[in-house]
Amino acid sequence: MNLALQLRRGISAEIFKYKKTFTLWLLILAPAFVPIINFIILWRRGPEMIKEGMNAWSTLISFSIDPANFLFPFFVMMVALLVNNIEYSSNTWKLIYAQPLSRLALYLSKMKVFIVMIFISLMLFGTFTILVGLSMRVVQPGLGFEESFSFGFEYALMFKIFLATLGMASIQFFISQQSKNLILPLGIGIAGLISFMIVSQGWEYAPYHPYGYAILATGGIRQEGYQIWADMASVYKSLIVATGVFVAAGVIQVKKRIM
Amino acid sequence: MSKPIIQTTELDFYFKDFKALDKINLNVPEGSIYGFLGPNGAGKTTTIRILLDLFHSKPGQVKLFDQDLLPNKVELLGKVGALIENPSIYKHLTGRQNLEVIRRMVGAPKSRIDEVLKIVRLTDNANKKAKNYSLGMCQRLGLASALLNDPDLIILDEPTNGLDPSGIIEMRELIIRLNKEHGKTIFLSSHILTEIEKMATDVAIIDQGKIMYEGKLDGLRSNDPTQFLEIKLDNAQKAIEVIKELNFTISEHDSKTITLPIIDKTDISKINKALVQNDIEVYQLKSTEETLEAIFLNLTKKLDQ
Repeated sequence: MNLALQLRRGISAEIFKYKKTFTLWLLILAPAFVPIINFIILWRRGPEMIKEGMNAWSTLISFSIDPANFLFPFFVMMVALLVNNIEYSSNTWKLIYAQPLSRLALYLSKMKVFIVMIFISLMLFGTFTILVGLSMRVVQPGLGFEESFSFGFEYALMFKIFLATLGMASIQFFISQQSKNLILPLGIGIAGLISFMIVSQGWEYAPYHPYGYAILATGGIRQEGYQIWADMASVYKSLIVATGVFVAAGVIQVKKRIM
Repeated sequence: MSKPIIQTTELDFYFKDFKALDKINLNVPEGSIYGFLGPNGAGKTTTIRILLDLFHSKPGQVKLFDQDLLPNKVELLGKVGALIENPSIYKHLTGRQNLEVIRRMVGAPKSRIDEVLKIVRLTDNANKKAKNYSLGMCQRLGLASALLNDPDLIILDEPTNGLDPSGIIEMRELIIRLNKEHGKTIFLSSHILTEIEKMATDVAIIDQGKIMYEGKLDGLRSNDPTQFLEIKLDNAQKAIEVIKELNFTISEHDSKTITLPIIDKTDISKINKALVQNDIEVYQLKSTEETLEAIFLNLTKKLDQ
């Protein structure tokens, strides 16, 4: 049986097991959280937030990106934990690894589902943000959302964040896969995030900190004439880390003794 | 002899410095119910994990269906169903949904789910969440998922562990039925001898990572045909002289009881006649076969240490 067919079976089983779980709701509700708050703020107090001469769409995007930069790493930590902990808590690693699929196929299935989950929720986040802007045309006209806006820009921005997040996502995935413990991956994730915030105050090597790539990738968003694809250093670093960690995690998982 | 379905050759396995398995050679014949017996911690689960490649063996040590396990793992495991120790069940899903997860992995047709539910008699509870299942139902669900790919070989690790008596009987009947009616070869581990005795055609006894016996269940008994005769009487001293004249050796005695090994039943009447002719009051004659329990304990002496 070739790897492609094994992968299809592995992924199909992987997706099915999230039926009626918190994970599925998390994927939809978490990306809606910040847009809902933004909707309420702009709806109730729009004119105070967006003054004359400010670009409504760019204001909305920076309203969205700032809290998201802080909250999104936690979301990644939780998803990494949930996709792996479902096997630990059900005692099913041994069940899935005793099925007639290669270990590589099983590992890649989980990894792929994890990455796609992050991708989908970011795209949902972008969509919800656009919907907030569009809904303002109806509930709070005159804020400036009537101006045209390139939806492509928003989705491209989300895609850049996605790429820049893969580095820390791979680390969280790896730790969550190897640890039965729930607290350890969260602890390491939070420590990673906070340590980046500390070193970003001025340490010259801060840009190499994997938990900061997504923040750095969107750092210039407030500046006039921000080009999404101009500064890609953080994205490349993220992709290098992700490749290294995902490969290492795969090798370990293929060799591992499944208890 | 039919070809072995499972064959291990000089299988060694280490946990760091601890030698968990020491040159294990198993030959599981096709169509058998093969009992894999040993006290806790003897290496049963380790062996089973190796058979399923959850723990990697070295090349050539494990053959399933006469093929090397490692290079043909995906194909071979397609013909194996397994239930390993405590149940592996997604508690948030129903029984049927649990089977669907595995069905998608093995690529069985959808209709197979109803078939296996019927085999393990779980159809009525299939749509209940697995977290509401009793341990017996969990075990049967585990068995159902092992049956999804219609395997030729079923590997069960302590399938009756933790079940109540009716659960044990039900599981036993299920295993026998799978063997007799569906023609499955069954490899079954247990630490309870009487459990294996009721089902198995073949046994292996493992202790401290070593195989102490492998062969037919009956062979275990005839290995050591010794029977003992226990005589209760009024005058042991005199009786010992009489018995010794008949060329028997006394293995144990006190003032009222004598125990001696005998070869067959005719020895009992021979001894009895001699005792009665010598005016010794015989109160009781009891012959005891060495039980499997005793054989098992003898082979795995470490149990009582």
